[in-house]
Amino acid sequence: MPLKSSPAQPPAATNAVQTLWKAYNDQTPDRLKFIDAFLFFLMLSGVAQFLYCVLITDFPFNAFLAGFSSNVGQFVLAASLRSQVNPENKNEFKEVSPERAFADFALGSIVLHFFVYNFLG
Amino acid sequence: MLLFRSLLCAIGLAGVVYAKSSKGDSVLVVVEPKQQDNYSIFFNGLREQGYDITFRAPKAETPAVIEFDAPSFAHVILFAPDTKILAKDLTPQSVVDLLSHNTNVIVALSSKQTAISTLAAEFSLVLPPPGSPLMSYFPERTDPATVVPVPVPASHPMLTPNLPPVWFSGVPHSLGNNPLLVPILRAPSESFAAEIDGGSADALVDAAERGGEGLWAGSQLGLVTGFQTLNGARITWVGGVDIFSDEFANKEVVKGLKSGNEQFVRDISAWTFHESMVLRIDETTHHRVNSTTPLEQYTTNDQIVYEARISSYDPKTTTWVPYSGLKDLQLEFTMLDPHIRTALLPVKGQPGKYSVTFRAPDRHGVFKFVINYKRKGLTYLQSSTTVAVVPPRHDGYPRFLSAAWPYYTGAISTSIAFFLFSAIWLAADSRDQKKGKGHKSE
Repeated sequence: MPLKSSPAQPPAATNAVQTLWKAYNDQTPDRLKFIDAFLFFLMLSGVAQFLYCVLITDFPFNAFLAGFSSNVGQFVLAASLRSQVNPENKNEFKEVSPERAFADFALGSIVLHFFVYNFLG
Repeated sequence: MLLFRSLLCAIGLAGVVYAKSSKGDSVLVVVEPKQQDNYSIFFNGLREQGYDITFRAPKAETPAVIEFDAPSFAHVILFAPDTKILAKDLTPQSVVDLLSHNTNVIVALSSKQTAISTLAAEFSLVLPPPGSPLMSYFPERTDPATVVPVPVPASHPMLTPNLPPVWFSGVPHSLGNNPLLVPILRAPSESFAAEIDGGSADALVDAAERGGEGLWAGSQLGLVTGFQTLNGARITWVGGVDIFSDEFANKEVVKGLKSGNEQFVRDISAWTFHESMVLRIDETTHHRVNSTTPLEQYTTNDQIVYEARISSYDPKTTTWVPYSGLKDLQLEFTMLDPHIRTALLPVKGQPGKYSVTFRAPDRHGVFKFVINYKRKGLTYLQSSTTVAVVPPRHDGYPRFLSAAWPYYTGAISTSIAFFLFSAIWLAADSRDQKKGKGHKSE
């Protein structure tokens, strides 16, 4: 039985992933896709720094903290921007227009980077 | 009167010129006036060296050893082992007072129990019961068995090398494990303490069992033992006063060979009176490598140079001369515990100078350079200098490390990505607005 079912499962799994990808491509506005690309880049950069820290050296630990937290902080800010400009969340953020959300995001990012470069050493 | 004064002055000057001790040259000898002449060779030897000897009978009240809480003499010799009760200011307690005032003491014991002999126990010397002097039937001789020729150790830092045996008559002692004791002369291995002088054999056996000493026999027994207190005063315990006597000094050990007594007692008095084996630290300095100014604070991981200058006292010229003979001197860099303990070795070509270079620990706090050199017989060398070790200043750390480039890249790329993102977002915004306007106008 497991022999029969196991070849059947991968197609189902691939189907699910394909369906998800297709639905994402079709239904997500371009702006959100653009934010998602940014988030993906930040995530890759953060993972790379974390691996470097764990596997090779954490010696200037302040530099690691600065680099990694700039990724994490930027990720959080970008994620909150994404939820605020998402048309589906309009009811949640009635008082926050997309322009206001972007201004918050930009201001928060500038403050974040200010701290990051101070801490980078 | 004037003559008298100038005479005093001349004596005083002579005293300065010929002074041999590094601690002063006044000596008080407590001895029965009748026996004074029995030790004339020893006393004259001291006088020739420049000591100023004052005699006092054991029961006399003056001159006082400590007056107005200041010791009146630099050195005290107690040659009254048979006197049961000494004067009020010569109690065991006052001997301890003398030592704490840096006065040096030579004490002679006898097989009688006196107040002073009870003090020996406080110095970790265990005496046999009263009436049990040392005796030995070897080598065969005409003298009584209690007059023993004792071979002198051939190389003892305190003694003249290759002395002939010395005559000894008196009481032995076994040594406790006090590290401040300095054994000088041991009993011959075939000698033992025996109850011939009015003691009883049972008492001797009882005391041996009770004290866990075994019998008072063999070469583990001490006859002459020094003790250097932590403040540097020296006291020498001698088992019998006769070792200083003229009779023993002139007595032959074998036909034609005079005993070593005269030189031996001079050697032990030289040690006790701070003539020999006297060292001092003249100065200590510390600085960073490639610099000469001493700092009050060092940075962690600095390379520090520590130097000490040590002199020894030369009794012949009464001067301090640089001394490079210490091979086992150590420097400790201490904050509660020694974080660094390293050899402080003599510098070749610079007599008296000891130097070491070491890296300050990667730990900040209040540290001390500590020299704590205690060796048997030598003056204790102690020095402690406090310095602070601080972390680097905010701008003292290395920057732009190659190991950190991934992190720098991460932070910079995030910033660049943020600017690109914002720019594209705003560009898309304005395009949307145009579109929106165009849609509205339609």
